[in-house]
Amino acid sequence: MSEHQGEGDEGGASTPVGTRRTFFGWVTTVAAGLIGFGLAVPLVGYVISPALKRRERPWVDVGSLEEVPLGDPKQLDHVTTIQDGYLKNQSQKAVWAVKRPDGQVSVFSPMCTHLGCGYRWDGDVKQFKCPCHGSVFDIDGKVVAGPAPRPLDLLPSKIENGRLLVVFKEFKPGTKDIVEL
Amino acid sequence: MRIYQWLDSRLNLKSVERTLLDEPIPGGASWIYVFGSATLFLFLLQAITGMFLAVYYAPTPDHAYDSIQFIEEQVTFGAFVRGLHHWGASAMVVAIGLHMLQAFLYGAYKPPREVMWMVGVVLFLLVMAFAFTGYLLPWDQTAYWATQIGLNMVGTVPVVGEFLMRVMRGGEVLGALTLSRFFAIHVLFLPALLISLIAAHLFILRRVGPAGPWTDARASLGSETFYPRQVYMDAVVMLVVFTVIGSLALLVPFPLTDKANPADTSFVPVPEWYFLFYYELLKYVHGPLEPLATWILPMVVILIMLFWPFIDRNPARNPIRRPVAIGAGAVFLLVVFSLLGLSLKNLYAVPRVDPAVVRGKALYAEFGCAGCHRIHGAGGAVAPDLSFVGDTRPEREWHVKHFKDPQSVSPGSFMPKFPLTDPQLNDLTSYVLSLKKTP
Repeated sequence: MSEHQGEGDEGGASTPVGTRRTFFGWVTTVAAGLIGFGLAVPLVGYVISPALKRRERPWVDVGSLEEVPLGDPKQLDHVTTIQDGYLKNQSQKAVWAVKRPDGQVSVFSPMCTHLGCGYRWDGDVKQFKCPCHGSVFDIDGKVVAGPAPRPLDLLPSKIENGRLLVVFKEFKPGTKDIVEL
Repeated sequence: MRIYQWLDSRLNLKSVERTLLDEPIPGGASWIYVFGSATLFLFLLQAITGMFLAVYYAPTPDHAYDSIQFIEEQVTFGAFVRGLHHWGASAMVVAIGLHMLQAFLYGAYKPPREVMWMVGVVLFLLVMAFAFTGYLLPWDQTAYWATQIGLNMVGTVPVVGEFLMRVMRGGEVLGALTLSRFFAIHVLFLPALLISLIAAHLFILRRVGPAGPWTDARASLGSETFYPRQVYMDAVVMLVVFTVIGSLALLVPFPLTDKANPADTSFVPVPEWYFLFYYELLKYVHGPLEPLATWILPMVVILIMLFWPFIDRNPARNPIRRPVAIGAGAVFLLVVFSLLGLSLKNLYAVPRVDPAVVRGKALYAEFGCAGCHRIHGAGGAVAPDLSFVGDTRPEREWHVKHFKDPQSVSPGSFMPKFPLTDPQLNDLTSYVLSLKKTP
């Protein structure tokens, strides 16, 4: 059989050879490739898309500005809705609000930057104290004592019509740099 | 290539390759032989898209609907993947139909291929079971009510029907237990069965070989290897099928209806097109004859299909020399397609219920109108009966005015003014106007 003749023989059955055979094989490969590509791209996007999406965190009303006395940090509780895929969960969250003499309000994440424990305000010594490992912060969140690697984490906040609005975020504890979770 | 050679030197792959690719096809490769491969391809596509849908799907009544909506709206390519699965299911029914038609026309069920045909019929039934169980999973109104009807049909089977229906339903009502068992059947039991039977189908094919042309003259032309020409034809058809399904998935959205509401009995479900002929048949048979249509006829048809190789004992494969068999097949297809055609015609002829009427009906319930008014015997009798108010008072303007201020058009009426918004006024008016002797 010559290279360019169309028929070969394979165990009694005829079979195309040469360029015809190459052509059929090539078309098969291209068809399989197109189907594979047409499936693989959407399916990969389908699986990884939620991992790449960053949750949009809403502004949450945590209370009236009047509830926060000047120079005396106050813990404000609020209910926030957390979107978990197709589920919506209501969750109780707290933040620490500090009103300064100039009227500005700083809002701290309620977790100690050391290992994420909840800290409290000691009004007698005017310091935030963490009961777990003894980290101490001043009213501006700066580390005064203990193992905390960085100051208390500030949350974005704004005041609208006398109400304090906050974007609740969580940060990785134990690191010197601020890493949002 | 070197890896292949390395493996071949140990596993002797070349001989496997030969067995797979050099299968002789009597009379040579042909475009008419592509339907089996197309069906197999569609099964693989359904399996793959199904696995990916399961990544986000939650099989409980609380979350099923929301999880599908999440796939449709939030997941990148989610609507496309679900579209592929939806249109792939329809395509699979078409491909199986064509594959069976080809096998029937070519007399490919005749000895020695009787068992291959029978396994094929069971595969077809399994695909129908896939369709039925998969339809419930989105847990929307269509899914819920279509499945309710399907279960009720099973219930009409004498003696064991009630029991069978309860087993299928799992619980007292169509609910959580039904959804989880339909899910398990759809994604675990049926695939396992289907894969085993596909393996059996292909095993028999390789043991007895393809049937080839029906005339000895063409068969004597000699056979051709499966690879490359038949493989090429199969691959081209698969690409065409994939392109069509992909385009449908992209271009024809397949939205969910409302979330399943067991309390809303006004919802009229429409089954998938491949069950429509059966749905139509049931419209013509009522009363004591109903079981005839719901299960005796289907049972008889399935049994005839299954044992067809033993019913048709004519050894000839050429259709011209099999007038009875071909005639019977033609009549069967004629009946099925006439019913399908009728059903489609009726579906599109029936005016869809105006959504304003549906909203108006809800308002009628919400404002407690039935406390005073009566419609077809339901409701109070102190105010006018509204059963046919659309006939007795067909003016739209009058009703709108009347709802705004009943006394302005009907002096002395004790009907209170209801706080209705303008859209609500319109909806309620549409509803009362729809109350006629002939809809």
